[in-house]
Amino acid sequence: MTDDDAAPGRPAPGRAEGEWGRADRSGAPPENWEAPRERWLSTGVRPAFGPRSVLLEVAARLLTPAILTFAVFLLVSGHDRPGGGFAGGLVASMAYVLRYIAGGRHELAAGMPLRPNTLLAAGLLVACGTAAAPLLAGHPVLKVYSYTAHLPVFGKVKFASYLLFESGVFLIVVGLVLSVVAALGARMEAEEEEVRDRRRRGAAGREGGAQ
Amino acid sequence: MNVLLAVPVVVPLLGAAAALLMRRAPRLQQGVAVAALAAVVAVTGLLLRATADGTVLAGQAGAWRAPLGITVVADPLSALMLAVSAVVLLVVQLFAIGQDIAGLSRAMPQVFHPIYLVLTAGVCLSFLAGDLFNLFVGFEMMLTASYALITQAPTRARVRASMIYTVVSLTSSILFLTGIALVYGLTGTVNLADVAVKLGSAPEELRMVLALLFLVVFGIKAALVPMHFWLPDSYPVAITRISAIFAALLTKVAVYAIIRTQTLLFGRDDITAVLLCIAVATMVVGIFGAMVQDDINRLMSFALVSHIGFMIFGLGLNSVAGLAGVIVYLVHHIVVQAGLFLVNGLIRQYVGHSSLRAMRGLNTVSPVLSVYFFLPAMSLAGLPPMSGFVAKAALFQAAVGAGGWPVYTALAAGVATSLLTVIAVFRVWVRGFWGTPMPDMVEARERLKRGSHLGGLRVMATMTGVMVAAGLAVAAAAGPLSELAFVAAHDLLNGSAYIEAVLGEGAR
Repeated sequence: MTDDDAAPGRPAPGRAEGEWGRADRSGAPPENWEAPRERWLSTGVRPAFGPRSVLLEVAARLLTPAILTFAVFLLVSGHDRPGGGFAGGLVASMAYVLRYIAGGRHELAAGMPLRPNTLLAAGLLVACGTAAAPLLAGHPVLKVYSYTAHLPVFGKVKFASYLLFESGVFLIVVGLVLSVVAALGARMEAEEEEVRDRRRRGAAGREGGAQ
Repeated sequence: MNVLLAVPVVVPLLGAAAALLMRRAPRLQQGVAVAALAAVVAVTGLLLRATADGTVLAGQAGAWRAPLGITVVADPLSALMLAVSAVVLLVVQLFAIGQDIAGLSRAMPQVFHPIYLVLTAGVCLSFLAGDLFNLFVGFEMMLTASYALITQAPTRARVRASMIYTVVSLTSSILFLTGIALVYGLTGTVNLADVAVKLGSAPEELRMVLALLFLVVFGIKAALVPMHFWLPDSYPVAITRISAIFAALLTKVAVYAIIRTQTLLFGRDDITAVLLCIAVATMVVGIFGAMVQDDINRLMSFALVSHIGFMIFGLGLNSVAGLAGVIVYLVHHIVVQAGLFLVNGLIRQYVGHSSLRAMRGLNTVSPVLSVYFFLPAMSLAGLPPMSGFVAKAALFQAAVGAGGWPVYTALAAGVATSLLTVIAVFRVWVRGFWGTPMPDMVEARERLKRGSHLGGLRVMATMTGVMVAAGLAVAAAAGPLSELAFVAAHDLLNGSAYIEAVLGEGAR
């Protein structure tokens, strides 16, 4: 396999589309990088579907921090206003879905070091733990403990234990969406790639036999 | 008391999280899963003891006052259902672990255990829910887990079955949500006790419409004819442990929900005729379906549909005796159905298939297995002195007590269904268990004996034996059980104990 094959971007001339872009685990930009010149995403780009789109990559790069910040805002503000762990989790997982669409499954893996199942488990533990903790003190389940503090810049701030519960919900939602993406996107993508590789190897074998 | 009410939901969920984290350590995962379910069994036992005298326990999550917050309620009926379900869940889980140890299943244990615990939490929440929305949440937890479980060890048939199952269940869920919205629109609350109080002043027609809507919602899940078509297509296809728990519990949770909503929320007299009609149709259609089946699991699934009819029949009697009969029937049917499906799983394991046509001489292949099949099958058929006889006798006695030609018609259908059940299970007995065994069945049995499966197989057989013994125990404990059932039925029809426990004194 030459470097040409590893080059993302356009398909190499004379090759069928679908063959370009092997998995690049090195993380370094290939040498004959044509467009775009900047590395917008953290792995060698190979989108999940169709050709590579600069616009999508740039959008993913720029929007990811904003989306995640907004997700945290929703999480924190959700106590008595619209938002909360569920909405926040959905928004946050959209950031990862966007990265996946723009950069394929390696990009998704680079952006989220935890397995979706681990996220689910952690979220469930945090949420149920918070729900059950008041039982130990003899209070009813899901009792909310809150503490209001006066901070110099922010003024009156209310810390409540529901936030922990909501964080658990947040993690569960992110884990769930990511496992859907992993099952219906990334794993199928990997399987397709395997089939393609096998076919290519088979074709090469036949050519070799003919010579 | 609040702790007892919270544990059956919280502990399985914590267990699920822990089991999910322990994917790489199967032994540890099994230990955690079993411990979680054992804790649920213990706590539900305590709940049953606390409510056995007719006490209704209510807990308010987060200490919000009743109509506002999440209410969990345990009355004798829900405590009894919880205790029985927890035992069955634990036994089936141990059966599954045995099967995994034997290496006889392609199911992924690391996925099975967490989802199974979520299913447990869903079942428990459904029994405990004190408001319609949490009933919905409990149902959804249970159903979502079951969507994942039904495709364990996926084959083409299982994926096809799961499509039917999922679409039908989602339809019922959408109707359920619609019903909740309508109830909220009418009364401004979803708390069961509060709805019960406020629906009293609602127009008669609206109450009837809502009662019918909720009957359809839960009727789909309980597989009442004509909404039963999905069940014999989906349950038998799943792997043994799953079909056993689905057949034993999921339909019964729906029957519980029918009983709860029809007795507590809606007027009782105006719907009994409908219930009796549905009961007759369910009994007759189900058992006719069972009589022509070739696959044992499919046969048992049709018999399951048919016997749901008995429970609706008892509810349609609209009397304390009738409801008590339903409750005894529920307990009997959960245990016996789980036992039968586990036995079917063992048969499938021993002879490699479950088709009656290619089955002969199971008596010779495995005498123990034939005993395990015979006892619950006779119980299902309602022969004395099995639990099925006790339950049917209670129902029929209540029916004779109620009187009137619609009840007598339903009673006749019930007696006929019992006889046809005898024919259906004896057909299995004669075809599958008598005669000289087919050579390939003996071969399969020998192969199984020689393999390294023996330890796990023993666990599976033991657990099946435990389930069968539990069926006998239901018959042995018929006296205390029917006393408890009368207490529960009295609470159900009275309603004020439930409402007072939730809303406080003087709510009505």
